[in-house]
Amino acid sequence: MATEKTDVVIIGVGAAGGILAAELGKAGMKVIGLERGPRLTTQDFNPHDELRYFQRQDLRPNIKRQPVTWRPNKDARANPMPVLNNGNQAGGGTVHYGAVSWRMHEDDFRARSHTTERYGASAIPADSSLADWPLSYADLEPYYDRAEYELGVSGKAGNLQGRKIDGGNVFEAPRRREYPLPPLLQDQAEILFDAAGRKLGYHPFSTPRAIISQPYQGRPGCTYCGFCQSFGCHVGAKSSILVTKLPEADATGNFKLLTGATCYRINSDNSGRVTGVSYWGPDGSDNAIEAELVIVTTFIYDNTRLLLLSKTEKFPNGLANSSGHLGKHVMAHMMANVFVGFDDRHLNVYMGPSAQKHTLDDFNADNFDHKDLGFIRGSQISIGTGNLQGGPIALTTTATPPGVPRWGAAYRDFLATYFSRHAVMVAQTENLPYADQMIDLDPNVRDAWGLPAPRVTYDWRRPNERARVEFMQKKMEEIGRAMSAHQVWRAPVSPAGAPGAHHEGGTRMGSDPKTSVVNRYGQSWDIPNLFVIGSSTFPSMSGFNPTLTIQALAYMSADAIANRYKKSPGPLL
Amino acid sequence: MSKHDESRRAFLIGTAVGASAVAGAGLVPTALAQTNEQHKATDAPATTAQAHAHAGGHGAFLNDDDAVTITAFAERIMPGAPGKPGARDAGVLNYIDLALAGAYSDLQDFYRRGLAALDAHCRTTYSKPFAQLTAAQQDEVITALEGGKATGFTWPSAQGFFNTVRTHTMEGMFADPVYGGNKDFAGWILVGFPGAQPLFSPADLQSRDAFAGAPIVGLQAQSKTSVRRT
Repeated sequence: MATEKTDVVIIGVGAAGGILAAELGKAGMKVIGLERGPRLTTQDFNPHDELRYFQRQDLRPNIKRQPVTWRPNKDARANPMPVLNNGNQAGGGTVHYGAVSWRMHEDDFRARSHTTERYGASAIPADSSLADWPLSYADLEPYYDRAEYELGVSGKAGNLQGRKIDGGNVFEAPRRREYPLPPLLQDQAEILFDAAGRKLGYHPFSTPRAIISQPYQGRPGCTYCGFCQSFGCHVGAKSSILVTKLPEADATGNFKLLTGATCYRINSDNSGRVTGVSYWGPDGSDNAIEAELVIVTTFIYDNTRLLLLSKTEKFPNGLANSSGHLGKHVMAHMMANVFVGFDDRHLNVYMGPSAQKHTLDDFNADNFDHKDLGFIRGSQISIGTGNLQGGPIALTTTATPPGVPRWGAAYRDFLATYFSRHAVMVAQTENLPYADQMIDLDPNVRDAWGLPAPRVTYDWRRPNERARVEFMQKKMEEIGRAMSAHQVWRAPVSPAGAPGAHHEGGTRMGSDPKTSVVNRYGQSWDIPNLFVIGSSTFPSMSGFNPTLTIQALAYMSADAIANRYKKSPGPLL
Repeated sequence: MSKHDESRRAFLIGTAVGASAVAGAGLVPTALAQTNEQHKATDAPATTAQAHAHAGGHGAFLNDDDAVTITAFAERIMPGAPGKPGARDAGVLNYIDLALAGAYSDLQDFYRRGLAALDAHCRTTYSKPFAQLTAAQQDEVITALEGGKATGFTWPSAQGFFNTVRTHTMEGMFADPVYGGNKDFAGWILVGFPGAQPLFSPADLQSRDAFAGAPIVGLQAQSKTSVRRT
């Protein structure tokens, strides 16, 4: 066994870990990053291949070697999920994501208080554990700004210091300045969606994305090739951690990245501190790192699993779990799709950045009156591609219009007619947290290293969430008709209850150590030299993609560690 | 879908340098190696060599009977018609055969057992193997599989077998030709997909017409012309 010493060890070098590596390295701390997968380069992403990256998920965990199981409830047996959406290489999910980059609304940070104030406490489902965040939008705004400018996000402001601007998102919280880059170009589907949305009195706009629309920081602008979500960018225009923060971390001279390194335990002593980590190397070797500070920044499954696997006599229920809330309050966006097909024009939706290209925020958060609707919170509604990727294999995995079979001559003709003449709207719903939506260790399924697989218990089919999906599908059908589409059809939404995209929760942040796992900085209430940072700390999820919020939180935590914790290690609150 | 990149890459390298490399990898060691010997033997009767050569787009995994069944099955999933290339035109059999010998080798027994159950079901119901049924009867069988009503399936289930063969048929139609299907970009021409274009212009994005700005681009080849459909 090899043992080395460092100031900081970061487990998982993705959306959060990459930022922490660069910023703590700049602050003079010696950082080692552990990454289970490889470190790829922009050259690895040329040319593009839908089978390899979309269908076979080459930038995501291998579901046979790294299974994550799911069951709808505690009485059901869990089976491995067929698709995992997290990344499996340096840069994590930012390598293959669609790069949609949102700031959450002001009321997203206080959904419980806001709902209670406007509709009364009884509007919140009795079994929901919906909670306010322990910080406000104003607290995070400087870090959103920093993430947008340092990483490179393209978009148009809709609320500049309180001044509403048509063409941007007029529902967004006030921002201090314009985006660093203008919006990406619009394709045919966006133009039709925008016009239909305006006709109906809504406020559509180009989705802000961490894809640079012009040359920025030495990287070239987007080429609109369309191989975006599921793929690495072949020119480096997607502002992934791979092309933004990792080079910065390298330049500090204080950062070492270990690839092919599978962390299997966070070590701790009887004083109540963590002392480092143990990991298996690519050759199967058993290694250890002694560190002053351990930061867990994997996807939500492994954030919970690692803390559970690291239990000791002192921490018999897992690290950072004196509250008993570790693994609980898991959330996922459900992606409700409505398709539109045109007989008289092509849309060529395989062109351009493929995910959630153009957005309506009118039915998100509490941007609309929920009185008598039977649900709270909302959904981002956007247009783009089915499965967020526009190739022909992706289309064959989606729903057909009523009366069109999934195979045979009629199906062939459907594909031949509508592949280049369709687009897909998606409602990305803000599902509420519930304590029994959780992650634990699967007693039956193990991964390739012999560790118990993370097991997700989750069922989205609750009255509040069903009512929301139905409402959003009707809205999208209304928009589809306003687009003058010749065909408008729904896809069924996860009939068995399985979680959708963007999983959150498991290591919930809060202001009370009794009901949360970490504080606003991601610092464990129980173990001050242990941090967990990522969407696993979200107390509620919003209808927005989580990555920019993860990144803003990482910047905030990095500041707190570099400016305060480093001088005086201990609880930040 | 499963993913075994190392074996897939090794396999693709193997196919690139010829069947003997595949045999050397232990995938189909005996029969194919003998066939190669017979090819080399100048005094071997031509008919013998032909009888053993799998010219129909398989030989890496599937046996002749199974290849006939898969060919017929995939053609009903994605039937060809004049001007509309189908599974046979696109070489879906070759795609599935290579995938089962490589990236999807963990599904070999899934296919063996599924094909055996399909064969038993057809012989019980129609007294004929699947490939000898009429197109209408074949569609009846596939409908019964899709609906989980076909008898005699245990593992894989009838629906599970249908879904997998359907998925692999789509992959064989629309994956890059480097994987053995989508022959001459047949699938991409069918739907009007120009392949792995490195860029689109602002005019391309705003066009209401089919893209005709460049030849179809594949991983190792380009078409002679663009996708020209109206």
